[in-house]
Amino acid sequence: MAKVTVDGRTVEVPDGSNALEACRAAGVDVPHFCYHPRLSVVGQCRMCMVEVEGMPKIQASCTVPIRDGMVIHASSEKALAARNATMEFLLINHPLDCPICDQAGECKLQDNAFAAGLPVSRTSEPRRQFPGYDRTDIGPHVVADMTRCIQCTRCIRFCQEIAGTGELTFIERGGHTIVWTHEGRALDNEWSACAADVCPVGALTVKEFRFRKRVWWLEKASSVCDGCDVGCNVSIEHRDRVVHRYLPRVNPEVNDFWICDYGRFRAEGLNGQDFLRPVLRGASGERETNWGEALDSVKGAVDAALAEAGEGSVLALGSARLSTEESWLLARLFGETLKGRAELTVDDGELRRIRNPKARGSFEGFLKGREAAPNSRGAEAAGLVRAGKDSALEKLLAGGPAPRVLYVADAAFTYRVKDPEYVAALRRAPVLVVHARTRNALTDVADVVLPVASLAGKEGTFVNVQGRVQRFDVAIVPPPVVRTDLEVLLHLGRRWGAFDTRWTARDIFERMRGSVDGYAGLEWDAESIVGAPPSVSPAAAYDSLLAEPLSLPELVLPAAPAGGGAK
Amino acid sequence: MSGGAGTPVAELAGNPRTGEHGALSCGHPVAFSPAALERFEALLTRYPTKQAALLPTLWIAQEEFGWISREAVDYVASLLDLAPAFVWGVVTFYTMYNRAPVGKHLIQVCTSISCHLAGAEKVYHECRRKLGDLKPGETSLDGKYTVIEVECLAQCDKAPAVMVNGDDYERITLENLDSFLEKLK
Repeated sequence: MAKVTVDGRTVEVPDGSNALEACRAAGVDVPHFCYHPRLSVVGQCRMCMVEVEGMPKIQASCTVPIRDGMVIHASSEKALAARNATMEFLLINHPLDCPICDQAGECKLQDNAFAAGLPVSRTSEPRRQFPGYDRTDIGPHVVADMTRCIQCTRCIRFCQEIAGTGELTFIERGGHTIVWTHEGRALDNEWSACAADVCPVGALTVKEFRFRKRVWWLEKASSVCDGCDVGCNVSIEHRDRVVHRYLPRVNPEVNDFWICDYGRFRAEGLNGQDFLRPVLRGASGERETNWGEALDSVKGAVDAALAEAGEGSVLALGSARLSTEESWLLARLFGETLKGRAELTVDDGELRRIRNPKARGSFEGFLKGREAAPNSRGAEAAGLVRAGKDSALEKLLAGGPAPRVLYVADAAFTYRVKDPEYVAALRRAPVLVVHARTRNALTDVADVVLPVASLAGKEGTFVNVQGRVQRFDVAIVPPPVVRTDLEVLLHLGRRWGAFDTRWTARDIFERMRGSVDGYAGLEWDAESIVGAPPSVSPAAAYDSLLAEPLSLPELVLPAAPAGGGAK
Repeated sequence: MSGGAGTPVAELAGNPRTGEHGALSCGHPVAFSPAALERFEALLTRYPTKQAALLPTLWIAQEEFGWISREAVDYVASLLDLAPAFVWGVVTFYTMYNRAPVGKHLIQVCTSISCHLAGAEKVYHECRRKLGDLKPGETSLDGKYTVIEVECLAQCDKAPAVMVNGDDYERITLENLDSFLEKLK
């Protein structure tokens, strides 16, 4: 640790920090564009100029390694003059198109220009144009507009250092410089939209989100991506019950600053809701009904099965997409109360990975997912039995004895429901009940379909590939009659007196602590479970990592990478 | 989503890219001759990293292929384990790598201050006019001449200076321009 004085305020910062980080630790927000805690330091933008005692010239603070006893004047007249000069240079050619620019509202240039307060331009020349390189797809998920680029090279460094693919480069030089790919190539890697995230201006924007919603209208809720078992922390950005995008939430232990494109664009899928009421299917056809009748019919079928065929005649199929709380309810209800079996099957995923050399469980610098669903570990810990040899599910699929009632708590629990033979095998159970949000082959043949909310409507916890418990919160309230899996299971369980319908996910979480592996001693509100709050701006997501040392003087800069992320 | 940095842009719908700043294609894959490869291997021993050998390798490529095409960029990138985009970024940073085919004689007229005072602008214009009203950087129809304007050739005492490929020519004025061009034939 080194003691650094910034504008008369002394803070202690870790060795290897740079002057910019020291300023931020001291509560002085030095404007900057090219600095990013996980990218190498280049001193490209010249925005973060400060005065350092003992150095004759004004310095770009991100390039100055701190020394013990260093005295920095971040707000001196000289520093402000240098920063304002840089800002004026940047604005000479930056188009004044904030009203039509999708970055407006989360644009660092906008913020910094506003903070600098230079309302009048001293130039009257036409601004630089790049015909053919404006509003152009640069990759499958990213649109580039080089007239807005301020040449901070964050995207180039992202592609080189984080993605490791190096699609982007500076082409030409001086005032003609553009960021582009090699001719004939696209900005297309597993995390390409993160290049748009790190862009401080509107030069790179995400194609799927462009013009969907002004960012200041978006509400943000903390959640966890359910695309694979890495469990990237995300913020669900929504408005008027519509999910508009995911942004990664910073978690240095899991996804760091990043999220893969596959996960990011799952956000779109959260808006589908085919089932708005419970559906009963019988000899007389299909009809919508209310929850009372639907759940009573499930109870009737289960009671009949138990009376006629005895214990073990009911099989519940969980899913690794259920929260641990929901899995726990399912296991308690079907495994214990109803003396049946509660099993779980998980798809092996395509290999999803996220760059995080620091995270526990990462290798080759990546944290890698193994399964296509987020919570098999939590579900197993909660008591669901992974379907293997001799499991009721395998017997059912192999043509063995069928359970009298098959209760599927997630209609999309495996990709194999697309296979008609697989569905036919499940359908051999005389009574088939499914929880479903969207229509698929299984819901088309089920006797009872119980409409449930998407991830955006639920709260609970997932256990990721590292065994880390992570909480996700409710983003949007589901449509009126739709319930969460948790509520459905509680109301069903109440019919046998097993559960109290007033329980929330938090109550169940607290009940689980005594019995579920990995949950002992955890607190629902603990920072390790909740993660960082959503960031206001994806380009400065690290804001959420930095506490406000002004009000909390004992806090210092948290673990920023040594050497400002040069490694 | 398809794989990696190699996805052709053609797959992206509605891409109006003009290629103004992009590498032109020469239409076929390229590779160094055995002699050039030998030079390249010798080169690598003189630099601490492969990336450090990029500029001289591009020189070899320019000598081999005459200009740096998209395929040459890909080839050099594969030789040096670099991203093609990075190589192209370096090519476009420097002015002496040809980004389009040039004529047999690349006539580089210096128009920096000494040559300018000695009338280099007129030489530059007259030279292009005589070779077939060439635009700056354009190659004559017979593929023999390309005329470009360059910065100081360090021949200020012999202004106006002209360099043709690697050879210096001194005091090229309107008077001796014809005999100068005659010598090139």
